[in-house]
Amino acid sequence: MQHSEINVRGCKLNVRRGGRGEPLLFLHGAQGLNGHEPGIEALTANFDVIAPDHPGFGKSDLAGAVENIGDMALFYLDLLDMLALEQVHVVGQCIGGWLALEIAIRNTARIKSLVLVNSAGIRLKGVPRADMFVCSEDDLLKLLFAAEGATQWLQSWRASPDMEDIYERNRAAAARYSWSPRLCNPKLDRWLHRIDVPTHIVWGDDERVIPRAYAVALKERIPGATLATISNCAHMPHIEQPQAFAGEISKFIRSAAR
Amino acid sequence: MKIFIFHLMPYAHLDMSYAEKYRAAWVVLPNTYFDPKKGHELYNRYLDELELAAELGFDGISVNEHHQNAYGLMPSPVVTASALSRRTKSARIAILGNAFCLREHPLTLAEEHAMIDCITGGRLITGMVRGIGAEYFSLGVNPAYSHARFQEAHDLVVEAWTKPGPFSFEGNFYHFDYVNLWPRPYQQPHPPIWAPSTGSTETIEWAAHPSRKYVYLQAYSPTQSVARYLNYYRECAQRMYGYAASSDQIGWSTPVYVADTDEKARAEAKPHIEVLFNKLLRLPFEMLFPPGYLSAKSLKNMRSHKRSVSGQEHTIDTLIEQGIMVCGNPDTVRKQFMDTHRLLGYQNLLCLMQFGTLPRDLTEKNIRLFAKEVMPALQALTDKEYAGMQVQAAE
Repeated sequence: MQHSEINVRGCKLNVRRGGRGEPLLFLHGAQGLNGHEPGIEALTANFDVIAPDHPGFGKSDLAGAVENIGDMALFYLDLLDMLALEQVHVVGQCIGGWLALEIAIRNTARIKSLVLVNSAGIRLKGVPRADMFVCSEDDLLKLLFAAEGATQWLQSWRASPDMEDIYERNRAAAARYSWSPRLCNPKLDRWLHRIDVPTHIVWGDDERVIPRAYAVALKERIPGATLATISNCAHMPHIEQPQAFAGEISKFIRSAAR
Repeated sequence: MKIFIFHLMPYAHLDMSYAEKYRAAWVVLPNTYFDPKKGHELYNRYLDELELAAELGFDGISVNEHHQNAYGLMPSPVVTASALSRRTKSARIAILGNAFCLREHPLTLAEEHAMIDCITGGRLITGMVRGIGAEYFSLGVNPAYSHARFQEAHDLVVEAWTKPGPFSFEGNFYHFDYVNLWPRPYQQPHPPIWAPSTGSTETIEWAAHPSRKYVYLQAYSPTQSVARYLNYYRECAQRMYGYAASSDQIGWSTPVYVADTDEKARAEAKPHIEVLFNKLLRLPFEMLFPPGYLSAKSLKNMRSHKRSVSGQEHTIDTLIEQGIMVCGNPDTVRKQFMDTHRLLGYQNLLCLMQFGTLPRDLTEKNIRLFAKEVMPALQALTDKEYAGMQVQAAE
């Protein structure tokens, strides 16, 4: 995928883009991106994949106007206008899913479909989400991944001092947008009825950060939404089960989103 | 030099086997470990200890704020400072510090500080802190906005203390249409403000700014780190702001234990100081420094420095050796403070005379012996005894 820098109203956004097909905007989660996401690579076989680092993550600037996920939704609507994207498929994982929801309740004019992968965003009273900030690195790996092999992902962040800095930067950015209340906007579910594009929910069968009850609740509250499960997978399907991840998204878009 | 006694008011009755079940004495340690009857005794005993120090001639007595932990039982230092304000007559009462920025409504604290200042006839010192990282878990405040909120809360409070009201405050975090503080503080323009910290670069640069010149107070750290941070304050003043910082702007806080002999001091203090560092300060890095709490630069600095304070098992020997604690017979302790004063030039010293599980009798003995044998010599120290900058400042 090619890197480029896009200036969105003064904020330099680092964007990876590659592949051929209809445009697909991938909105990353609290862990950010480091270029070792085989699931995103796999999507480039069928789509023109656009994967930015959110403001404050990776190599993107912080944007002064973006203090929370609601602000960021408006920021991304600006980006879609700038890129003049029509009929874009939006895929969001973790807080990226939350972001996709906040975008979609505001404006779906440029959006063709929505895929929510282990998505944060809503709050279910009495069903707490795991705290990714309080746990040790070892415990974080156990939260994010179902199987062994997670060490490889962590090692990719340890590849250089620059990568280590970005890892810390991503943690700080994730806190900025999702600290309190953790990983949700308690008032978001009041507006989910506004989502008027085909929506698919994809959840790891062994998800430990955002309990499965959230997948079910999203399906119930978003008009016409469907739900699929990925086996042997926790919070990070785009890394842990890249083929199933890309396959599930492609299949949904081929059928429902025509 | 001004000498303050400092208290953390630890939950000394903590069942230390908690450490087998819980990773910290903060955030996640169930409050069922706290027995209110024992709490009642402890609060009163600790207040007695502070009052005793005031009677014995300490220049000030100081309290601080921590939330939801066994390390320090003062979620509101305003409560303890208020209790002390009517029981003391001349000692300074220092709240070191209050985390104004953890509040959704910092004006309530501004009001309470103004009340204490009026009640005591101007004996209050107001410390402003961000709160340690664990507090951001316990109170649900976003650590990524900590510095910005801290500065805005400070601006709001200082304006509320000094500007004729009513006026409106239009900030990013705080918005008030009617700021009109009754009472106004007794001291004019406002109580002295101190900035206690564990060495955050941003805090040091902020405190040293010529519009503030606040006392920077370095919390317990190895002597070499204390030197780096205190010297960074002086360097900042000189290099960034073009003025020479006064030693009155420099403070150091450290646990102190004095007994008749070095051996006795070490033996008496040992179990209690080790509880403080190994059990009550037990706090994993993730809780101490949540993401965004420190700038990227400070985080790098801290990763190396803090490992030495909370990342390892301490013994009293390592604590004394590194200068994190001052312990010995009166001559030893006096000499050590005079040496560090020559090196660092601090004119404010905060002595933690009770720590961990140190019981009432030993605490009182410690306070009395220090006040009699050590304190007078230190109170006589001035800037003349300071040798000037010798250790390279922190980056």
